Amino acid sequence: MWLWFSKLGSPKWFYELSGKWLPWLIAVMSLLLIIGIVWALLFVPPDYQQGNTIRIMYIHVPFASISLAFFPLMAVAGTITLVWRMKLADMVAKTAAPLGAWFTALALISGSIWGSDIWGTWWIWDGRLTSMLLQFFLLIGVISLRSALEDTEAASKACAVLSIVGCINVFVIKFSVDWWNTLHQPAGSFSLADDAPNPPEVWVPLVVMILAIYCFFAVSLILATRNEILVRERRAQWVEDLACNS
Amino acid sequence: MKPHRRKRLGIILFIATALSFAVGLTLYALSQNIDLFYTPTQIAAGEVAVGQRIRVGGMVREGSYVAASDSLRVEFDATDFVNNVPIHYEGILPDLFREGQGVVVEGALDANGLFQASRVLAKHDENYMSPEVKAALEASGASPQNHSAMPEQ
Repeated sequence: MWLWFSKLGSPKWFYELSGKWLPWLIAVMSLLLIIGIVWALLFVPPDYQQGNTIRIMYIHVPFASISLAFFPLMAVAGTITLVWRMKLADMVAKTAAPLGAWFTALALISGSIWGSDIWGTWWIWDGRLTSMLLQFFLLIGVISLRSALEDTEAASKACAVLSIVGCINVFVIKFSVDWWNTLHQPAGSFSLADDAPNPPEVWVPLVVMILAIYCFFAVSLILATRNEILVRERRAQWVEDLACNS
Repeated sequence: MKPHRRKRLGIILFIATALSFAVGLTLYALSQNIDLFYTPTQIAAGEVAVGQRIRVGGMVREGSYVAASDSLRVEFDATDFVNNVPIHYEGILPDLFREGQGVVVEGALDANGLFQASRVLAKHDENYMSPEVKAALEASGASPQNHSAMPEQ
């Protein structure tokens, strides 16, 4: 277990392994994305009260759901950085922050478009929307903090601490719709029961889209981390060999 | 695990726990302010002063909607099935607006106990289905309640 753990921490090992995984992951992602988008846009029945606007949900929910994963991911990577000083963990943490900001922004924008049509407003300062906007600003904060400190090691430690603290906001986002009254509806349920509030024809394509966007998240994170590995290990012999052979 | 690493992990866990606890207490103390809207029952209990700008959340009471024929003026009651707030509004309503639908209304109470609204927003629940499924559910009497659009308490 510990051997595996320290091996995973080696940037070279990760670079080689992720290079083997990537084509498969991209294939699965493309397949899920095509099935999911075609299904959601063409075959899902219009909603009884929202009509075709409901199709925004198939973009909004996957992005919103995955954007909650960034702070826990950065916090785990940050803890590994602080405790075990593993280089790879800090590279993942660094690449995750801008990606997280993009995913959060997409969730906010798609939600805003949905809200403008259905609620009658682009924005409202309710618990869910405000805490999600806070996550966006926290991610911008993490990015700025890293670029503000010149000492790389100090920057990665400071970002690790901020990421661990920022995790608290994830719980606030998740439970905001249960703790307080909000304009945003609570999370829907996926159930195969006959009298379930959401029929499978509505939520099965949503699950496909969620899986597709999770794959997209993994692909983006791996690609960005590979770039970061090459930049930081540019003086290592194996990177030099890689550059000469390609 | 080496002792100095165990110590660092301990410090991190302690800081995270302490901060979560502090944030939790803060949010608990602020929960009244974080709530987006008042319920008709809170207004009936006199929690809101006349003229204070607030939001009211509730369902549009069945049979209460009256629209003027020569203007955009509408009247309806917001209800939480315990108390009602009569609402006056002049303007465009969201497409989703209808009797039995959840709404969040911005405005202020006037001296007569009428709520003069400046904006009406529609609130919907987390149950999505096609019109056919909705009709079938209603026919069988198993229609899921509009849970989340209904204010709590």
